[in-house]
Amino acid sequence: MLKILIPTVMLVVTTWNVRAKWLWPATLTHSLLISMLSLTWFAHTSETGWKSLNSYMATDLISTPLLVLSCWLLPIMILASQNHLSQEPANRQRTYISLLISLQIFLILAFSSTEIVLFFLMFEATLIPTLMIITRWGSQAERLNAGTYFLFYTLAGSLPLLVSILYIQTCAGTTSLLILHYAPALPMTSFADKLLWAGCLLAFLVKMPLYGIHLWLPKAHVEAPIAGSMVLAAVLLKLGGYGMMRIMVILEPLTKELCYPFIILALWGVIMTGSICLRQTDLKSLIAYSSVGHMGLVAAAILIQTPWSFTGALILMIAHGLTSSALFCLANTNYERTHSRTMLLARGLQAIFPLMASWWFLASLANLALPPLPNLMGELMIVTSLFNWSWFTLLLTGAGTLITAGYSLYMFLMTQRGPLPVHILGLEPSHSREHLLLTLHLLPLLLLIMKPELIWGWAI
Amino acid sequence: MSSWRRLHVKARTGGFLSSTPVTPRHTRLRGPFMPCQSLSTGRSLRKGFIKDLENQLSEMKKKAVDALPGSSWSPVLINPNLPPERADIVIVGGGVIGWSIAYWLKQKERVRGGLRVIVVERDPTYSRASTVLSAGGIRQQFSLLENIHLSLASADFMRNINDHLFVLKEDPVDLQFNHSGYMFLANEQVAHIMEENYRTQRSAGAEVSLLSPTQVKEKFPWINTDGVALASYGLENEGWFDPWSLLNAFRRKAVSMGVVQCCGEVTGFKYKTNVVNSVDGEQMFIRRIQSVKVQMPNSLEYQPVECAIVVNAAGAFSGKLAEMLGIGSSPEDSIAGIPLPVEPRKRYIYVVHCPDGPGLDTPFLIDYSGVYFRREGLGGNYITGTSPEEDEEPDTSNLDVDHEFFVDKVWPSLAHRVPAFEKLKVTSAWAGFYDYNTFDQNGIIGVHPLINNMYFATGFSGHGLQQSPAVGRGVAELILDGNFRTLDLSGLSFRRILTQEPMLERNIV
Repeated sequence: MLKILIPTVMLVVTTWNVRAKWLWPATLTHSLLISMLSLTWFAHTSETGWKSLNSYMATDLISTPLLVLSCWLLPIMILASQNHLSQEPANRQRTYISLLISLQIFLILAFSSTEIVLFFLMFEATLIPTLMIITRWGSQAERLNAGTYFLFYTLAGSLPLLVSILYIQTCAGTTSLLILHYAPALPMTSFADKLLWAGCLLAFLVKMPLYGIHLWLPKAHVEAPIAGSMVLAAVLLKLGGYGMMRIMVILEPLTKELCYPFIILALWGVIMTGSICLRQTDLKSLIAYSSVGHMGLVAAAILIQTPWSFTGALILMIAHGLTSSALFCLANTNYERTHSRTMLLARGLQAIFPLMASWWFLASLANLALPPLPNLMGELMIVTSLFNWSWFTLLLTGAGTLITAGYSLYMFLMTQRGPLPVHILGLEPSHSREHLLLTLHLLPLLLLIMKPELIWGWAI
Repeated sequence: MSSWRRLHVKARTGGFLSSTPVTPRHTRLRGPFMPCQSLSTGRSLRKGFIKDLENQLSEMKKKAVDALPGSSWSPVLINPNLPPERADIVIVGGGVIGWSIAYWLKQKERVRGGLRVIVVERDPTYSRASTVLSAGGIRQQFSLLENIHLSLASADFMRNINDHLFVLKEDPVDLQFNHSGYMFLANEQVAHIMEENYRTQRSAGAEVSLLSPTQVKEKFPWINTDGVALASYGLENEGWFDPWSLLNAFRRKAVSMGVVQCCGEVTGFKYKTNVVNSVDGEQMFIRRIQSVKVQMPNSLEYQPVECAIVVNAAGAFSGKLAEMLGIGSSPEDSIAGIPLPVEPRKRYIYVVHCPDGPGLDTPFLIDYSGVYFRREGLGGNYITGTSPEEDEEPDTSNLDVDHEFFVDKVWPSLAHRVPAFEKLKVTSAWAGFYDYNTFDQNGIIGVHPLINNMYFATGFSGHGLQQSPAVGRGVAELILDGNFRTLDLSGLSFRRILTQEPMLERNIV
């Protein structure tokens, strides 16, 4: 664990000490090396339980995929930000990269923590660099509004969580995940315990986000710069899912009754956000709403707590992280050229950027859950486990999958096919950096087809 | 008892939260019979106290609503007149062409809020804008098919203007469209051109008729047909209208559809340059505009508006705007050296009063000498003018009127053609700019070859107002559909300027 964490901390030192000319190559290489090192976590020699264990941090079969995803994301974010930061003074570039690295550190600590309190601390701590990235480097006046929504939605959910964690500490005597599984069950009989249940889960549901409390997500995603959108979509949403997975263990037996409204909200959200996507004109907003939809499926799956649903949730989280991040990078390549996120103004791009069109195609197919990509595997497991739980859900998930396919294809056809307007002809050709960026997104996704056991979350 | 109530009155006036001084009330009971005053002062005072309380509560509620999220109050004071930091399409120029393009863009955007369009106009009083200083005529009597089709489509738009530009809960649009038609008079030398034009116009669908001098004399007895060989009279879709109403109608409808109106001047662009080697080995700089710098009036404050597309609808001042991007600043023999051939040309219009003049059905008469006049209103007023010679172009630094020009150039021909005008009185005059296309006096619509995302809709040289609805639709189709759909205006593109093949009208005013 420390062999990943200390290099990441030292990456901050690298950022500030390397010469300006070598800033981007150096940080990119360093972070890429860290991510390669992090792949060693996948080697689970013990088939159950915790690995790389020390008193405060450990990796588990659930946290390992998410940890590797967060470590993988740092070099990709650095690669994506290189262009739009190139005009800023060097110190500001260094600050930006330091913010990304600090996010990385918090995320590693969050996913690998064995104590719920440490997880909560890191959960909150990730808000600060993200808020700084959105409000300082976002590009419109609405970003202040977006930052406010982002901050206060999450904080409003986290305060009950803090109280609940402290209560668990007093009640069960510990908040260590290693022990809580074996601790005697909390007496969950009074009305206050229902509030405890809600308090524990609300913060994570806001973070997922759940459909009714999702308003911060489109704003934050649209106003954030590319690295901000990427990290938000790929990892920060999964913090919510991971937290839910961890804390559900102690919340029995209330979940059986209390989860109903949230499952319904989540599944209804899949359909609603899908329909909203069909009418979106802003490309980033479309991808943001699609994130809400996918995470709704994940939230519903985690709430029903079966092994298959947990697996499906985990697979979908990883696959969606990579896919959503890839779509944001593609939208950014558009934006950097035309300076507009409106889809109407950037059409027919296949004619001038054919290779980028193939990445668009792959990413759109991944978004609509095409087999044999892990997106489908995750969705399928979730849909089947939900169907097993109640056959009504099939109507919602089926309709949701249909609409997802609809808007993914709509996005692809709007941007890539169609008449090429005259003002698009003089755009800059694609950079190799952009192709590399997308390869680094899509290659893991394609490789995961071969070995999905890595992200299953259970012992083979 | 009542005196005690009066004391009570004095103590409680003013409300307990406000700081108004206690004023004595005048409702002193003077006697048992008070026919015009309420007998109990206590109740009205209690009501007044409650009303005060309610006022204060509503004020507090307003303050709270302002501070809560969802309202537009923000702790950071931003100049509310600044344009937004980002827009999709920036239209430079708030004349009738600019607003027409804004309206049609919003009309074609397919999803509500699909496009962010802002129109930047530096002079909200429109004191020098060609639109409102125009004579307001519309005719189909051109020789170029594109012009005829544009005018026909625009006339059709304006006849059904409330189908297009009606805004709910507002007054319907009234353009004061006088359908009196245009009449061109031709002498012996140019009669054959008029006949050819007539054939072109009829084939394009314009309702024009040719009249012999005797027929002209029959129809309009006040014309002196001396020297006239042929006359061309428009029977339908021709006449004049109020340009201000059209501009306001477009603007009102576009703003209701979400176009942002910004008062400011475009003083610069931020663009990216790509160096491209053409097939002949010539090095060209292809520019792409990234943002438009809009400066606030009478201030140093400016806002760079990041945009995807800029539309140059700046009219007479389009040439200056193009210069900011380096068009025309390179050596002569390259493409970049060809400037935008649009410059302002001053034209005078004189309002004359002649009580014995032609009647109410007088058309917009244009003589072969270039002098024109039309009826203005119903009180015996007419407006008249003519185009000066090429070498006698007036100074364009101001809009001052040269009254000598009327006496020397306009009145003689006018009086010759219409003898009743020998006795007239000039009551008023104004001057306006043509956005004069020095190349071929016809509009330029399309993208510049060297600037990827700037669309031009300028250079209409005096017939921009009448073609504005159709031009707006054409530019919107070009931007959103990639190509013209309803009318093919590709003949009016930049190509003819690069290849130096002018599309000249035969017979212009």
